[in-house]
Amino acid sequence: MTILEVDRLMRSFGTLMAVAGVSFSIREGELVGLIGPNGAGKSTLYNLIAGAIAPTSGKIMFQNRSVAGWKPYHAARSGVARTFQIPKPYRKLSVVDNVALNALLHNKSMAAARRRAEAILADVGLADQAGNPSTILTVGELKRLEVARALALHPTLVLFDEIMAGLTRNEVVTMTALVASLPARGITVIWVEHVLYAIMNAAPRIMVLHRGELIADDSPENLVKNSTVIQAYFGEETTFA
Amino acid sequence: MSVTSKSTIETKPRRASPGRWWMKPGHGSVSWLELALLVACIALVVAPVPHSYQDVINITLLWGGVALSWNIAGGYAGLISFGHAAFFGIGAYTSTILLVNYGVSPWLGLWLGGIFAAAFGITLALIGARLRGPFFILSTLAAAEVVRIGALNWTSLTGGAEGLWITPTKSIANMVFASRSAYVALVLGYAIIVYLVSKAIERSRYGLVLFAVRDDEDAASAAGVNPLTARTGAMGLSAFLTAIGGSLFAQYFQFLDPTYVISPELSFQFALLAALGGLGTAIGPALGAIVIMPLSELLRSYLGAAFQGLHLAIYGGFLVFVMLYLPGGIASALERSTGRSKETP
Repeated sequence: MTILEVDRLMRSFGTLMAVAGVSFSIREGELVGLIGPNGAGKSTLYNLIAGAIAPTSGKIMFQNRSVAGWKPYHAARSGVARTFQIPKPYRKLSVVDNVALNALLHNKSMAAARRRAEAILADVGLADQAGNPSTILTVGELKRLEVARALALHPTLVLFDEIMAGLTRNEVVTMTALVASLPARGITVIWVEHVLYAIMNAAPRIMVLHRGELIADDSPENLVKNSTVIQAYFGEETTFA
Repeated sequence: MSVTSKSTIETKPRRASPGRWWMKPGHGSVSWLELALLVACIALVVAPVPHSYQDVINITLLWGGVALSWNIAGGYAGLISFGHAAFFGIGAYTSTILLVNYGVSPWLGLWLGGIFAAAFGITLALIGARLRGPFFILSTLAAAEVVRIGALNWTSLTGGAEGLWITPTKSIANMVFASRSAYVALVLGYAIIVYLVSKAIERSRYGLVLFAVRDDEDAASAAGVNPLTARTGAMGLSAFLTAIGGSLFAQYFQFLDPTYVISPELSFQFALLAALGGLGTAIGPALGAIVIMPLSELLRSYLGAAFQGLHLAIYGGFLVFVMLYLPGGIASALERSTGRSKETP
């Protein structure tokens, strides 16, 4: 069953077409990678789906409901969670409270929300930081905090935005396993990533965005042979001496 | 998704530590410091204190209560306001006009003043919904000026620049008491209530929501929080409690004029007490008022007449000292002095 359908979605900033007519659909339980060079429109696409900005034109259907132009809190309440490319922690709150706030969406009491937050922090390997202020976290830990907060919302669709940046290779392996385990828990995943070896191994389907347009939507094996994709990443007429 | 809590989760001990014994007695939620302050305040109310000192105690407690009210918007929700004198004035004028012109008891009037102020605060938060940082601050300053100028010119209602007098017909129903101790007790009750409300917010889910909106609105919004609802609620409650302080002020001093009661100076003072004490905690504004108000009042009474302006210079110097050497306010300096650095929510 289709969980998300995007149809001829456009968003311009002045004369710049950040997202220039993108269409795709995602089935429940899929793990879909989304890659593309810097400035391709990946974050804008996320902002459109998660309600941070409204589209100039086009349709977004989530669970067969038209949701273009909804607010971020509508998205969260309906089961769409996102992470931010640049982490946005609540700076004056402890790590566990950072996650507990999100867990409050589905837990009425503070105690229950904190318990759930601690469980999720254990999942992402941040359990030993739970009582500390979020300001002492490293970049890699902040990325994991973003993931924990998204999962605390009990989402049906989650949009990950470069969650591997700043992580060590071992951490990338652990985190990739966590992401790959989500579809089995009933969470559909769209995953923007620049750490390509992680996404190429974990995502059976990868979409490539370039200059606001979808230039490929295929399996990783086929993508590496796709000349359009190679051109977008490395430019034309690449010669290796 | 079902994530089961593992019993082996490692968590560092939360906040409470031997180094800060005065913060947490046992499992209780009230600290030794808070208990000591409460006992000291009650002692001052009961003790036979000369009248002039009772004035100092009274204004310290009243300004403390208002600084705590300010802190609900400014400290918890990040809505720094330089316009709280407007709410204070709305409370003071509402209960006073009702008493003087219509014979309505201030015990009722203060609620109505609170409701008017809350409505005004919510309107302000809605109008300033898209304003952040300095721009929001300026909008509150401007709004309070509108109220002040309105009160100055609507002479038929407010008496304009000549002000309003509450002619003291002593009765409990009129909230006009024979003894000053009764006023001080009343104001202490107010300060304690606002303090308890603040503590309740800090510990509630609503408090966590406010902190989140304050720290990062985008993230809070992506967590299902409507930031506008959170902000309007905090501003409304803050304005309501500030206005009640205004009504109590009017009953104690029995005279009101817009130039003082709705002045920017008063707005700054409320914000300053909270900021110097420590934003975002209940103990901060309380400590701010307890340290700064007696200092400024005593300096004025001892030095005000003899050396014109000297008390202001000393007061100003003290404020600069606190800002330079006690970042985060008096409360966080106290906490650091016990040898552990940490952030307060």
